[in-house]
Amino acid sequence: MTLSPTPLEADVVSRSDNAMVLSMGPQHPSTHGVLQIVLEIEGENVVKADPEIGYLHTGIEKTAEGLFWTQAQTVMERMDYLAPSSNALCYALAVEKLLGITDRIPERAQAIRVLAMELTRLASHCVWLGTHGIDLGAISVFFYCFDLRENILDLQEAAGGARMHPNYIRVGGVNGDAPEGFLARLDALIAKFPARMRELRGLLQANPIFQDRTIDIGILTLEEALQWSATGPTLRASGIAYDVRKAFPYSSYETYDFDVPTRTEGDAYARFLVRLDEMEQSMRIVEQARRRLDTPGPVMIDDSKVALPPKETIALSMEALIHHFKIISEGFRVPPGDVYQAIESPRGELAYYLVSNGENRPYRVRTRPPSMYNLQILKGIAPGNLIADLVVMIGSLDPVFGEVDR
Amino acid sequence: MLARLDDVARWAQSSSVWPLTMGLACCAIEMMSVTSPEYDIARLGSEVFRSSPRQADLMIVSGRVAQKMGPVVKRLYDQMADPKWVISMGACASSGGIFDNYAIIQGVDTIIPVDVYVPGCPPTPDGLLYAVNLIQQQIREGGRGGILARA
Amino acid sequence: MPSTQTPPIGGAAIDPPSLRPPIDDAAIERVAPAQLRERLEALKGEGFALLLDVGGVDYLPREPRFDVVYHLLKLKPAPASVAAVGKPMRVRLLCGVSEGEHLPSVMDLWKSADWAEREIYDLFGIVFDGHADLRRIQMPNDWEGHPLRKDYPMRGPARERAPRPNFANKSNVVAGTPPTGRTLEALQEQVKRARRP
Repeated sequence: MTLSPTPLEADVVSRSDNAMVLSMGPQHPSTHGVLQIVLEIEGENVVKADPEIGYLHTGIEKTAEGLFWTQAQTVMERMDYLAPSSNALCYALAVEKLLGITDRIPERAQAIRVLAMELTRLASHCVWLGTHGIDLGAISVFFYCFDLRENILDLQEAAGGARMHPNYIRVGGVNGDAPEGFLARLDALIAKFPARMRELRGLLQANPIFQDRTIDIGILTLEEALQWSATGPTLRASGIAYDVRKAFPYSSYETYDFDVPTRTEGDAYARFLVRLDEMEQSMRIVEQARRRLDTPGPVMIDDSKVALPPKETIALSMEALIHHFKIISEGFRVPPGDVYQAIESPRGELAYYLVSNGENRPYRVRTRPPSMYNLQILKGIAPGNLIADLVVMIGSLDPVFGEVDR
Repeated sequence: MLARLDDVARWAQSSSVWPLTMGLACCAIEMMSVTSPEYDIARLGSEVFRSSPRQADLMIVSGRVAQKMGPVVKRLYDQMADPKWVISMGACASSGGIFDNYAIIQGVDTIIPVDVYVPGCPPTPDGLLYAVNLIQQQIREGGRGGILARA
Repeated sequence: MPSTQTPPIGGAAIDPPSLRPPIDDAAIERVAPAQLRERLEALKGEGFALLLDVGGVDYLPREPRFDVVYHLLKLKPAPASVAAVGKPMRVRLLCGVSEGEHLPSVMDLWKSADWAEREIYDLFGIVFDGHADLRRIQMPNDWEGHPLRKDYPMRGPARERAPRPNFANKSNVVAGTPPTGRTLEALQEQVKRARRP
C-alpha cells in the first residue's frame, strides 16, 4: 500500500524573519491524543495555530449503519473513551425515545444509570486532571488521580464485565443488577473520596507555579464561547450555567439535588476549578443514587420485543426462547423517524441525531461531538501566547480524540 | 566469553525497555493505567515513556490506526534506533478489531513488524504487563534484538 | 456477524424525518437551500446564540438526496445562573440538498461552523460556498470518494474487491509454538523445578 503522509499546507501569516512553521504532533506527549497542530511561531510566540484532526477517524458512524441497534452501541462506546458509559447512555436514551418506551424504564435502572454516568464522569475528570498535571510537570497528581480511577474501574468491571467499555447501559435499562459486594465497594469509594479530593485540591489549587501557568491563560470570553459553540465546563467557566442535566433533564436527573459550578473568568484556571467542583457534585449525586439502590426492583424494561428475557426463563418457556432468538439474530425494529438526544458528558453537550428508517439497523447516527467544538476554540485563543501556554490550553479544553475524529 | 557478555547485555537490555508514547485511542488509557501505582510497569524496567522515537526501544501501538495515522506510525518506527521491538496492543492494532471498514488499517503489522500481539478491547493492564514480559523473554533469548543484531 | 452481508429487516421509509413520532426534542423546520442563510440569520437575531451542530444525512433514493441538519440553542449571551438559563429552546433546521447543489457557509455567523462544514464536505461531498478553507478534515487529503454516502462501500473501494484476509497466514509465530517461545519440555521442566519441595 502506498503511504503518503498528509502534506502540510500552511498559509504563513507572519512577516518577520524569525517565523517558522512547526508541526506539533500527531505524536506528542502533551497533545492528549493524536492531534497535529500546525504552528506558526516566532521564537516561542505562537502567531497562528491550526489544529489538524482526523488521525483517529474510525468511521464509527458508518460502522454503526451496518450493525443492529444494540450492536451499534458497542462501537458508539468507543468514541469518548474516557467516559464510555456516557456515550452508551446517550445512545440508549435516543433509541428509547424513538421506540417510545422512555416512561417505562424501571426506576432502579434509572438510578443505576445515573450512578454509572456520574462514576464515569469522575473517572474522566481523574484522567483529565492527571494528564493536565503531568503536562505541566506535576507528575504526582497523575498517580493520585489514577489510583482513584482504579476504584471506579473496579466498580465498572464488577457491574458490567469490563474496566472500560462495559456495555452495561443497554436499550431498555441496564444489563443486570449490581452484583454481590458491589454496594460495599461503592460505600468504600464514597467514604474514601472526601479525603482524596482534599489531597487533589491541595496538590494543585493553591500551588503558585500552577497558578502562574494557568491564571489568565487561554481566556475565552462569553461571546467567543458562544461563537465557538463551547459547552460543558468550558462554557460554564465563561459564565453561562448551561448544563443539560438541569435544562433538559433525562433519566430522572430532575429528582437529584446538585449544583452546577460556574465561573466568569474564562481562563484555564477557571476551567480547572469548575471541573474540580464538578467532581464533588458528581460524588453528591453518587451518594443520592446509592441510597436509591437500597430498594430492590427490576433493572430492565418488561418488554420482550426489546429486552432479552432473563437467562433462567429460556430453558423453561418457549416464548422466552423465541424472543431471545429473535432479538439476537434479527434485533428489534425501531419505527421511522429522527431524534436529537443530548446529555451532559464530562466534556459538554454530547448528543446523537439518530435517524431510523424502520429497519433493525440505525440509518444514520450523527454525533454532536463536544470535544470537536471545544477543540476548535484553540484556533481562537492560541495566537499571542507561548507554546508552553498552548499545552495548558489543550489540557484545559479536555479533548478526547475518539470523539473529535470518530 | 563473548556469549557470556551477550547474555549480560541482553539481560541489561531486557531490564530497561523504554516504551515510546504511541497512545492512539482507548488502549492508550489502559497503557496509562499500566504506569499507575496499581499495575506499575516501572518495576519491569519501563521507568519512563519516552516521547522521542530516538530514545525509545519499544513501540506499543495502543489503539486503532486510522488511514491518516498509518504513515506517521511507519515514520516513527523508522526513526526508532535499532534494536527495537513492537507490541501491537489491542484488537484494533492487531487486526483492525471491531472496525472492519474503510477508515482503519486492518492490523498495524501490515505496516511494521510486530513482536507481540495483545488481544482485548481494551486489554487489561495485566495483559500489557504480560506482553512486556514476553518482550523481555524474547530479548533474553536473543530473538530479533541481540546487541549486535539488526532489528 | 451481521453487517453489510445481512439484508436489513423491516420497512424502508424513504423520508424518515417526515414520519417521525411525536417526540418533543426541538422545534423542527424544513427550509430550502435558497432560504437557508436568511432563516439562520433571523434565528440568530431572535437569540439562538449557540449553533450546536451541523450534520449531514444521505437519503439515497430520495430527491433531494441529502439533508443538512442545523441544531440551534437559544441562550442569552450574558453570564447567567442555572435558574436564569432556565429551559432553553432548541430548533432544528433541515435543509434538503440535491447531488451537486451548493449550500452557503455560515462560518461568518458562527465560527464553529468551520470544522462542521469541512466534515460534511469530506464525508458527503456537499460544497459550502463562502467557506474560507474547504478541504478534507477526517480523511487524508488525497482520498477519493466521500465515505458516509450510502453508495460508498463499508470496507472502502480497494478492500471491497479484495477477498477477506486469511488470518492463519498472518502470524509470524510458527504454529504449535507455546507462547513463551520455549519448548513444551522446557516449560514442564520449569514447573517441576518450581514444585520441588
